[in-house]
Amino acid sequence: MDNATNFISIEGLKFFGKVNASISHEIKNILAIISETAGFLHDLTDLAKQGEDLKLSLLESCSESIAEDIQRGFDTIKQMNQFAHSVDVPIKEIKIFETVELTVKLSNFLSFSSKVEIENGDKEDKPVLTCPFLMESLIYQILLFVYESTGPDGHVLIQFDSQKKDGTSLIISTPTNFILDGFPTPDIQRAAKFLGFELNINSSNQKLDIWVPYVSKEIVALEKELQINLKS
Amino acid sequence: MKIILVDDEQKFINMLAKRLTMRGIQADVVFTGRDAINRVKDTAYDVAVLDVKMPGISGIQLKKELKSIDSDLKFIFVTGHGIASRSEANMIEEDLYLSKPLDIETLIKKLNKIIKTG
Repeated sequence: MDNATNFISIEGLKFFGKVNASISHEIKNILAIISETAGFLHDLTDLAKQGEDLKLSLLESCSESIAEDIQRGFDTIKQMNQFAHSVDVPIKEIKIFETVELTVKLSNFLSFSSKVEIENGDKEDKPVLTCPFLMESLIYQILLFVYESTGPDGHVLIQFDSQKKDGTSLIISTPTNFILDGFPTPDIQRAAKFLGFELNINSSNQKLDIWVPYVSKEIVALEKELQINLKS
Repeated sequence: MKIILVDDEQKFINMLAKRLTMRGIQADVVFTGRDAINRVKDTAYDVAVLDVKMPGISGIQLKKELKSIDSDLKFIFVTGHGIASRSEANMIEEDLYLSKPLDIETLIKKLNKIIKTG
């Protein structure tokens, strides 16, 4: 599967399915909370009909809870929509911080995800010419690998270093030891190669460094390949 | 009837426990598998209602752990997921399985059924 088009089609479909499954799980959880809260309000109404006092504080906390979960639902749908639009154009200029932030949010729907803090030292969100869908897929796969090491109680820090002119370093670290046995997997390596990204693991200071060039020769080649294959 | 609800969606099980209590069912809540194991060591329950996917431990793994502590404990699985694999389906087949969002009357019927049939 050395051809990028095949790789994106097969691995991309797996990634798309995984993200959709986790989003549907999140939406079901939100609806379950709203459903139970509405049921509780119904129970209170039944009790009031039987002459019991209706506590206003309970009504207030139920309405606040429903409002909070409706907002959680809107946020989830917004992320789902952003993600769906990442396949609109095969290669385009994206904002690196925005893309990483979306991918982290998508990965946080998984039950085993760790708590992730994103620290953007650069005031400017740098533009990168890339395949947004493949980039999201790559970062997602890397985060899953990291979560397996850190666990659901773990903390992950993502930082950006844009001191060099031609790209940004995405630095993933944890306060505990990274156990990244088997990293990078062949699929992660292949995705990074097609995007022109470089992966460097520094096990001594527990950091994973992903070099993201603003424009790479690999992405220009990928753009040509995708243009030809999408036309045919 | 005394049950334990295990789910990392705290608001969901807190609300469910309130509604079950209003219907005469004593329902304790815990948010992690670890807490469920500790609670079952100390307290006898009739049924454990488990979320299939939780951080740290799956509902299926948790069932094994809880069963080794209390062999009489019965199980109902609740999930927002579909069943992900054939092995999960086989594991759950013998137990009762409900999908979120729940209908509380269906849950109570299942609880009564599982206790009656033993």
